[in-house]
Amino acid sequence: MDYKLVMNMAVMAGELMLRSGAETYRVEDTMYHILRTAETQTVEASVMMTGIVATISNPDMEPITMIKRVQERGTNLNRIMRVNEISRNYCTGELSLEDAFEELKVISGKQYRIWVYNLATVVVPAGFAPLYGGGSAEVLASAAVGAILALVITGGKRLQINGFILDTLSSLAVAAAAMLLKGLFPFLNNDTVIISAIMPLVPGVAITNAVRDTLQGDYISGGARILEAFLKAVAIALGAGAGMALANHFFTGGGLL
Amino acid sequence: MKLFFGVAGSFAAVVAFAILLETPKKYLPHAGATGAIGSFVYLLGLHNDFGTVLATFFSALAIALASHTFARIFKAPVTIFLIAGILPTVPGAGMYRTVYYIITDDRARSSYYLTQTLEIAGVIALAIFIMDTLFRVRLKKVEKK
Repeated sequence: MDYKLVMNMAVMAGELMLRSGAETYRVEDTMYHILRTAETQTVEASVMMTGIVATISNPDMEPITMIKRVQERGTNLNRIMRVNEISRNYCTGELSLEDAFEELKVISGKQYRIWVYNLATVVVPAGFAPLYGGGSAEVLASAAVGAILALVITGGKRLQINGFILDTLSSLAVAAAAMLLKGLFPFLNNDTVIISAIMPLVPGVAITNAVRDTLQGDYISGGARILEAFLKAVAIALGAGAGMALANHFFTGGGLL
Repeated sequence: MKLFFGVAGSFAAVVAFAILLETPKKYLPHAGATGAIGSFVYLLGLHNDFGTVLATFFSALAIALASHTFARIFKAPVTIFLIAGILPTVPGAGMYRTVYYIITDDRARSSYYLTQTLEIAGVIALAIFIMDTLFRVRLKKVEKK
């Protein structure tokens, strides 16, 4: 048994999952299952939101330990799913160690074209407008504001702006655009438009993961994710507030008061 | 009619959000259905005067139930359905109103909406807690057999 290769594969699988926004216990579980196929006496995998530590050892050999720091985190459910499948196939013996490692290496990031992401950013606000009490006019307005949001997000990602600032800028653009639309078409329900248009930004992912990590007893990751959710919410609120205040300052016909 | 548009709209919105989260293509409709179920329960709750917080609680409960069921049926991680599906209940409205009333200098209302936002976030957490625990109990029973 090639212990080093098993260890490399487990850490790679763990890193991929952690970078794609999997829950901490799922990462630990997957790594544990992979490491256990080495059939050593001691198997440990400890995962925190910012890094991974794993070790295997036998009485007759030096323990093998690896530490992996994970810098960037996003959400990519497809990658979680693929790693899950590969590790399951490997553990049941359908895939050999080498094949599984090769398959892990070729997991790709993006599944859709760029215009699909932009279209999705437009559809999210338009779809939520009826849920928050909007009529057809609000649906159209939300879609228009969503298009501006897509523009800001794509531009910001290209310029590699820090996430917190990008959230603030995006919600600022959303609020300002909605206020301008309200000035042009006074019959619009401004609340609905802004609320629907900030939905792609709200920290739903962070809240869900925070809850599930905390329930598992992973308090460090859970706490970190709660902080992440709170920070995102503050960024969005800050941006929306600034956008409304700005639009109101230059354009008194807007929705405020 | 309003109910229909609300549910259909959130189906489309959740599918679009699922694309942003890189959900595998074959599970997009399921994620959308989870969201649609959630907003159906939410609108039904509002219609029966449950109040926003309680309606959100039942809605999150329904979403968590649906995602766990899908996860068992399709042998996929729960996250795939839950993360996108929970979006309609996230208190974006509360966050917006809190800030809005801070700007318009209405402290009473802004703190009312701030409390409501925190309540909704807590209630979502509670609903996910409950469903996760229930499904774990059920699983353990099956394993023992």
